[in-house]
Amino acid sequence: MAEYILQARNITKKFPGVLANDHINFDLKKGEIHTILGENGAGKSTLMNILDGIYYPNEGEIYINGKKANIRSPFDSMRYGIGMIHQHFMLVDTLTVLENVILGLKDQSFFINKKQIADKIIEISDKYKFDLKPFAKIWQLSVGEQQRVEIVKMLFRGADILILDEPTAVLTPQESEALFEILKKMKSEGKSIIFISHKLNEVMEISDRITVLRKGKVIGTVNKEETNPVELAKMMVGREVLFRLQRKPLERGEEVLKVENVEAYNDRGIKVLNKIGFTVHKGEIFGLAGVAGNGQKELAQVITGLRKATSGKVFLLGKDITNQHPLVIANSGTNYIPPDRLKVGLIPNLSSIDNAILRRYRKNPIGSGILVNYKKAREYTESLIEKFNIMVPRIDAPVKLLSGGNMQKLLLAREISENPALLIAVHPTRGLDIGATEFIRKKLLEVRDSGMAVLLISEDLDEILMISDRIGVIYEGRITGIMDAKDADVHKIGLLMAGSTEEESATVH
Amino acid sequence: MIRFEKRESTSTSLKILIPTVSIILGILIGAVAILLKGINPIKVYQALLIGAYSSKYTFSETLVAATPLILISAGLIVVFKMNFWNIGAYGQYIMGAIFSSYFAIFWSPHIPKVIMLTVMVIAGMVGGALWAIIPALLKAYWEVNEVISTLLLNYIALFVLKFLMYGTWRDPLSHGFPLSKPFPNNAQLPRIIPHTRVNLGLIFGIIAVFVVWYLLKKTKFGYEIRVIGENPNAARYAGMNVAKNIIIAMIISGALAGLAGMVQVSGIIHLLQIKINPDYGYTAIIVAWLAYLDPIVASFFAVFLGGLASGAYQIQITMQVPFGIVGVIESAILFVLIGSEIFMRYRLVFDVGKKKHSGQEETL
Ligand SMILES: Nc1ncnc2c1ncn2[C@@H]1O[C@H](COP(=O)(O)OP(=O)(O)OP(=O)(O)O)[C@@H](O)[C@H]1O
Ligand SMILES: [Mg+2]
Repeated sequence: MAEYILQARNITKKFPGVLANDHINFDLKKGEIHTILGENGAGKSTLMNILDGIYYPNEGEIYINGKKANIRSPFDSMRYGIGMIHQHFMLVDTLTVLENVILGLKDQSFFINKKQIADKIIEISDKYKFDLKPFAKIWQLSVGEQQRVEIVKMLFRGADILILDEPTAVLTPQESEALFEILKKMKSEGKSIIFISHKLNEVMEISDRITVLRKGKVIGTVNKEETNPVELAKMMVGREVLFRLQRKPLERGEEVLKVENVEAYNDRGIKVLNKIGFTVHKGEIFGLAGVAGNGQKELAQVITGLRKATSGKVFLLGKDITNQHPLVIANSGTNYIPPDRLKVGLIPNLSSIDNAILRRYRKNPIGSGILVNYKKAREYTESLIEKFNIMVPRIDAPVKLLSGGNMQKLLLAREISENPALLIAVHPTRGLDIGATEFIRKKLLEVRDSGMAVLLISEDLDEILMISDRIGVIYEGRITGIMDAKDADVHKIGLLMAGSTEEESATVH
Repeated sequence: MIRFEKRESTSTSLKILIPTVSIILGILIGAVAILLKGINPIKVYQALLIGAYSSKYTFSETLVAATPLILISAGLIVVFKMNFWNIGAYGQYIMGAIFSSYFAIFWSPHIPKVIMLTVMVIAGMVGGALWAIIPALLKAYWEVNEVISTLLLNYIALFVLKFLMYGTWRDPLSHGFPLSKPFPNNAQLPRIIPHTRVNLGLIFGIIAVFVVWYLLKKTKFGYEIRVIGENPNAARYAGMNVAKNIIIAMIISGALAGLAGMVQVSGIIHLLQIKINPDYGYTAIIVAWLAYLDPIVASFFAVFLGGLASGAYQIQITMQVPFGIVGVIESAILFVLIGSEIFMRYRLVFDVGKKKHSGQEETL
């Protein structure tokens, strides 16, 4: 019995219209890394939220160290040594690292000894080589650093059972590697870890055991040694998944996007685009690879008019659109899938309908005169939901209730359906399960075949290599190399991403 | 043991429960205040109810008090939906009263009534809207916090009113009191229920409620307001003009508050004076929140709080309870309402047998 630090028995959770967890049994061994695998909406986050005390199950029990535990709030789970990093971080942007760590601590004495807490944060952070500054504000940190704050927060509270809900979805491959080192170290110290990811190669790398969920039910638990990605995918989806995509030969047409010597600054006033230039043509997917934070986000914002270029020009179909209003640019045929769906792309508290029509409410037939035709809006939303196979609890439920992957599908569906000349997709498959990823990539290839120009910005090299026609590498705000996908290989791109120029990487090669 | 648990979603039943609890607690706190004066609160509330709803006349007085609340809260809902905290209805109301009174005081009493009243309605709305545009522009172009700017403008509006009433607008026949000359008949809003003070303003209010409802539910403007209020980043991403929408919303909000001021002077008081009850501008904030920013529901709460005010006038006379008691009850309601925002997001958990549980835990 003592082998298991946590056991969940017959956990059932119903939401209006959805059975998110259906009599789930799940065991976590002490000192193991246990991955939960499942499609979008399979109920992974729900189960984790139950363990963390955010939701209370309709049925079922949780045992910690063999004793029944009554977990009804995150305070309770904290007392049982459970800590969780949520799929969408729960840090307060305007507060410091330290303030976020102590926020919500229950037994906080009235006077807070900041020095002592800061020391402890530094101690934890040093132990795992985090390099966190307790008094830095959250908004100044990169996503990877924010995640480390979340980890410190858990460890600070003495968590022995760590739950990480899709931690790598927002990380670069390098950051993911670093995270795995941290997880392994924590495991060697006897901590037990529940890990969620859609990336099967990661799952195969880090897990000891894997539990697969499908539609709220446990399909099975397997040892890592005794399985392989193909089998896992089959358990998850219930059918064979093709890891290979069919693609038609390239029919490269006229120039759609031309970026010329563009320079721009980020929110902190640092120059992040450095005379960047490239073109994207009709009917091709141009993949832009690079380590996060090398100007990708700002580049997308400059093209879509959400950020000012301080010099240089952007042309769309030969027309100068530099620093035009976002609406003008959108109307001239650009659509944009932003990297941060909850902060920019979607309106979490509004319904699927309100979210689906964000690009359409001005245009006929959904917009008519000064009015929005909500009947047409509903029909349109229903058609998107059907075409893109989106799971929603109810069409007028707020989109924050959708599972992460389904939010992303809705966002994609909305942007692709505008049928623009240029589609800018930043991390389009982030957080999607393999089925949905396959689906989205197919869609991107489909719109490419139909003549759309696609600018794909991603940190996922596999994705870039899989669907791009040409690949550019961005480093410190400039293009360090552009190549045809057929001449590209991971090694060469990796070197360019690290900052060596094309000639250098050619000689190394 | 009572604790909070995060809610899966905000239920409709809570949207009913919370305002109810707020009102009950407000009334209880009021009762304590009355007790402190050594008066039996039950008797007071009884008298208050009688004073507000018992007869046709008392109920008509409730409607009279509800009218400005309906108008103002309808406008406030528009701006509150976009997270713009206009607490300047007080000043916008005063400006509406001043602008419309100008015509009543200085134009000929022989102008046809329809023309006179139309001009006054427009003037009232323009006055309120102008006063509201100032903080909207400050916010839209210089990011000046609207709570501070609207609040300051309230004081300025009151000073403008005092300046006029002690100055050029004072009636020479008023024996030095700060009153304007009485409005001639052509500047008085017609009554719609005989022998009461209920006037055309109530109809304006009902129209305003439906216009606002329609605006929010059916139009592109309403859609944009929702998006901006919920996620300004998404609004910019979609190319919405946030500044323009703030300005339009404040024009609507200010115009309705200004119209309420016009209705008060032209329909009820029939002259301009310093005491024109601009406090309706604050009470309307409570009305809007009790209704969770639904204009139709808000009109019912307006009648409720209007009844509280008109009933309180009665008890002030009959039971020597100061009118201020209404302020106590209103602020207690607002306080509980804001406090219970947390209930909208968290669920209250009553834990029985918690003691035993935590005892068991020590052994872990
Ligand atoms: N608070 C809620 N109210 C209603 N339905 C909900 C709520 N939370 C989740 N759901 C629904 O429950 C199902 C399971 O959601 P959950 O977030 O657990 O999925 P998931 O496995 O984590 O998916 P993903 O990989 O996309 O993150 C989904 O259909 C989701 O829409
Ligand atoms: Mg999830």
